Amino acid sequence: MKTAKGSEFLFFALRNPKLRVGLTVVLFFLGLSLIGPLLTHNAPFDYVNPAGADPPSSEYWFGTTTFGQDVFAQFVEGLRATFLVGWIGGGLGTLIGVIVGFTAGYRGGLVDEALNMLTNIVLVIPTLAVLLIITAYLEVRGVLIESIFIGLTAWPWTARAIRAQTFSLRSREFVDLARLSGMKSSKIVFTEIAPNMMSYLLLAFILQFGGATLIAATLDFIGLGPTTGISLGLMMNNAVLWGALYLGMWWWFVPPGLAITTIVGALYVTNVGLDEVFNPKLREM
Amino acid sequence: MRRYFGRKFLIYGLTFLLAVTIDWLIPRFMPGDPIANMLSRAALNADAAQVLYTYYTHAFRLDLPIWQQYLNFWNALFHGDLGISTYLFPTPVVRVLLRAVPYDIALLLPAILLSWLAGNRFGAFAARTKWLDNTVLPLGYILTATPYMWLGILLAWVLGIVLGLFPIAGAYSFDLSPHLSWRFLSDVVWHWFLPFASLFLVQFGGWAIGMRNMIIYELEADYSHYLEALGSPRRLVRNYAFRNALLPQLSGLALQLGVIVAGALVTEVVFSYPGIGYLLLSAIQNQDYFLVQGCFLFIIIGVLVANFAIDIVYVLVDPRTRKGMTGEKA
Amino acid sequence: MKRSRIVLSILVAMALLLAACGQATEVPPEPVETEEAAPPEPTVAPPEEPTEVVFERGETLYVSGAAWGPPSTWNPFQPGNLANTTGTIGFLYEVLFAFDPMTGEMTPWLAESGEWTDATTYDLALREGLTWSDGEPLTAADVVFTFELGQQYAALWFSNVWVYLTGVTAVDDTHVQFAFTADPLYQEWANNLYNIPIVPEHLWAGLSEEDITIGANENPIGSGAYLYESHGEDRNVWVRNEAWWGIDVFGTPAPARIVDIRTSSNNVALGMVIKGELDLSNNYLPGVADLSTRGYVSTFFADAPYMLSANTAVLFLNTTKSPMDDPAFRRALAFAINTGDIVNVAYANLVRAANPTGLLPSLSNFVDQDVVDRLGFSYDPAESRSILAAAGYVDVDGDGFVEAPDGSAIALEVTCPFGWTDWMEAISVIANSAQEAGINIQAATPDYGAWNTALQSGTFDMTLNNWANMSNTPWTLYNLLFRHPIQELMQSGNFGRYDNQEIFDLVDALARVPSTDVAGMQAACSAIQELMLTEVPMIPLWYNGLWAQFSNATWTNWPTEESAAATLPTTWSGYWQLGGLQTLINLEPVPAP
Repeated sequence: MKTAKGSEFLFFALRNPKLRVGLTVVLFFLGLSLIGPLLTHNAPFDYVNPAGADPPSSEYWFGTTTFGQDVFAQFVEGLRATFLVGWIGGGLGTLIGVIVGFTAGYRGGLVDEALNMLTNIVLVIPTLAVLLIITAYLEVRGVLIESIFIGLTAWPWTARAIRAQTFSLRSREFVDLARLSGMKSSKIVFTEIAPNMMSYLLLAFILQFGGATLIAATLDFIGLGPTTGISLGLMMNNAVLWGALYLGMWWWFVPPGLAITTIVGALYVTNVGLDEVFNPKLREM
Repeated sequence: MRRYFGRKFLIYGLTFLLAVTIDWLIPRFMPGDPIANMLSRAALNADAAQVLYTYYTHAFRLDLPIWQQYLNFWNALFHGDLGISTYLFPTPVVRVLLRAVPYDIALLLPAILLSWLAGNRFGAFAARTKWLDNTVLPLGYILTATPYMWLGILLAWVLGIVLGLFPIAGAYSFDLSPHLSWRFLSDVVWHWFLPFASLFLVQFGGWAIGMRNMIIYELEADYSHYLEALGSPRRLVRNYAFRNALLPQLSGLALQLGVIVAGALVTEVVFSYPGIGYLLLSAIQNQDYFLVQGCFLFIIIGVLVANFAIDIVYVLVDPRTRKGMTGEKA
Repeated sequence: MKRSRIVLSILVAMALLLAACGQATEVPPEPVETEEAAPPEPTVAPPEEPTEVVFERGETLYVSGAAWGPPSTWNPFQPGNLANTTGTIGFLYEVLFAFDPMTGEMTPWLAESGEWTDATTYDLALREGLTWSDGEPLTAADVVFTFELGQQYAALWFSNVWVYLTGVTAVDDTHVQFAFTADPLYQEWANNLYNIPIVPEHLWAGLSEEDITIGANENPIGSGAYLYESHGEDRNVWVRNEAWWGIDVFGTPAPARIVDIRTSSNNVALGMVIKGELDLSNNYLPGVADLSTRGYVSTFFADAPYMLSANTAVLFLNTTKSPMDDPAFRRALAFAINTGDIVNVAYANLVRAANPTGLLPSLSNFVDQDVVDRLGFSYDPAESRSILAAAGYVDVDGDGFVEAPDGSAIALEVTCPFGWTDWMEAISVIANSAQEAGINIQAATPDYGAWNTALQSGTFDMTLNNWANMSNTPWTLYNLLFRHPIQELMQSGNFGRYDNQEIFDLVDALARVPSTDVAGMQAACSAIQELMLTEVPMIPLWYNGLWAQFSNATWTNWPTEESAAATLPTTWSGYWQLGGLQTLINLEPVPAP
């Protein structure tokens, strides 16, 4: 049953245009972040152009900053930081969300009430305000810390969704059957329920990835991102601080923002495509 | 009804308690000493520095034991006293916040309402034909994936600098004194437009996409097929689908509030718009305990109130919830 | 749905009205008191609401770059950056003398003249006909009152003058006599003469200690050229005092109104200057060199460095930490830093490299060139390496960085607050050039609060500071660099906690040299410089610019290098009495076409 379903998904997945487009874009940027630094021999912070700010040219593909730093070099390094935050922050958020949601949904009763309360509370508190304050504590911030804090605050909506899904699965016939036949709880969880939630997990992770990327870019832009290194949000921050808007240095702030928009947009599109693949009802249209 | 709202109150009450405690706790563990910070640029002689240091510490009641500070905080809270700002000494925090609140409300309220209504309408509209769907969909995705500050920067650059149509900083022109006149009001609106637009557009995309997905889902439901089988006009079916799809969008709105507040904050930073988000950032950068607390508190209260408002609207709009509360079956 | 649309538009309109109304209540409820035409009758004009609500462009001067927060206090005794309301001293409250750094002379302001009649007595003569803006005359009694405030309240910044001041008396309405101990600090006194604001006794005599030391002093009454009119989140509005006593002496300041704008960040100011919305911007603006060359803005110099030098940026080394407790290491570091890159790249030629003594160009006649020739430093990585090698710093583990003579690894951080963009670039240059010379220094940018705490509590490794401003005496620089005694919190200088009694004694000796004894001052400075350049406890790197870019669209006759008697084009706090106000008086409106 599982393999048949699996290959059925694969069939539709490969044919779904949204999925194809979305994945291609994301993989393109991922590839760029991996091989990009090899394409340029300039380090992101080196003063390579004595003339200062220059528009894109054959020598500097994305132009240079006020100080003569290579924007392309900064861009590809920034992409790495972006993907890292997405993986770790998004992954952590998904993990916590799944654990909380699943436990609440499966156990029910008092545990559910308590976890629900927790979820609601964390949901209501505006996370950026908390993140602002927490990251302001830390004198030295790195990408890892930033990702962890983002993950710790981004999980509530995932928990809710997983909980709802767990509820509906829990009352299905095959679970009752398994329980009747004397299977242990943990075995039920892993063999019967989990596979049906895989699709949800995947969808949730993709959305978390996108969300984490956006939050990180926002934090970096305000100046509360990592204190060392470069990221796309930090590039935008620098561009604005150094008057790129007024001095017409569009090549400094357009690429980072465009990259984030494209990556996150592609993720959302992938999400919808996957949703269609998993959910036959949506396949028309 | 009572049970429903009773539960809601409990949750909100607990959230408020916890949030206020976090609010009180967090700024106190910030690194650095705000009083020393405040006196830093003074280049005072040693005696003066010492005396002032003691002064301020006492004025801010920072020399009391921690638990007493906590209780004092709750007490002062109910008296509407949020302390005195160190960054803007000696202005009381409440005064500073109240100056900033109108800007946030002016920015957020129209942006949220208009984008929600317009986005939902538009998303429903887009779900009509495949052609429309294929053009609207990517636009929606692009908009909702755009980081708020990037859209702000783009709008500022294109409309503000290149085309010179709008101002890109401040809440009103520097050559005007605030007064009630058309000139002043139109100046305020003119400064308000770009920040509003960047908030509006991003959210608009999100709602449009969401509604479009929900409509499709609804159109596949049993009742839709039933109605179609009965020969109802498409318009009628779509109308029902739309109304049903509004409900999850409404609860989606509640979930999005935190994100929207974040978006407003960066937008304010990009446009130097003097709202609470911007104030919060300045307060953090200047290590102002009390102002950080105050901003955070206002944001929390705002979000709680908005959540509550949405809950009420939900009850009004969804007959099942109403009936469920009075014990009847839907 | 139609009904909801109506409701919606009402809501939106209400929201906007709310914002507008929220602002309309900004104007303070108490009315501004305007003066009657006939002085010095102490009658008060009937309360008036500010009448003009739209400012005439041709009569208003828009400036920015001095205020970094919303105006919150008009107390002239508020220390430092608390007084976001710049112009409190300068527009409202005045000082006894003005100092012109361009000529090095103290010019009379409130005072007509002042002199040391003997070694412990200073006689001051006030001008005739001075008035406060409420009509009361400004007399010697006000001066005495102001100085005695320093005696009563230790919290006022000039209170320590009473260590060597024993008494102030008003001989008559326009003469004040100051009596000192046997050994007054002549240099500090001369500095105080143009920094202590005179406040009105008839209004301040009844105030509590709290009001005087930390009160906001709203709706202030001063003696100066401008009156407080209104303020907002991001602006302070001053209106010309038509009954200012100085009109007969100095001339009428050209702008009828001055709007001091607080820009949230430098790039906003840049945009406003380009559009002509700002007349004078004292912000540090990126790309100004380019803009000046292309004619969008004007600067003091038409070419590099474009700006006058305002203060010295000094790299403080924490001498309590190893290896910065070793003079050889410090000296090697001084040779390793590529100041040229800071000047040319980080600042794009808007600044100048500093003299190793740290003294500004305006005080260059106190630089002992002989000492500098012998002991001075400049960018020379080879020299740096040889000093390190000679002192026993060798790269043992081959990672490219030297270790200390005792074998311990060296890993240091040079810091500056995050967001101070020009400094961030500068410390990046410092770190890179040090690394090239073999010293492992990384640049870090913590938030301002954390950075400031580290600065004052002495936990940093090395960091920048630029409080050594233009001054009438070299003593202020050395007082900053070698502040003593060393305390738990160093708040006003010597952040690196360099503890050397010999140099403390030398600085104290300098303080005691009378201002008229130039040769004596030079000798004292020479001794200080000799010790400083041998020990190198801190490294003066560059002169920060007196950032000033102005637009000739609405106001002209700004001071430039071509001007006959150039004044300082700045609105910064503490600079009004250094020529800032004179600049405004000299401005001329551009005639309407």
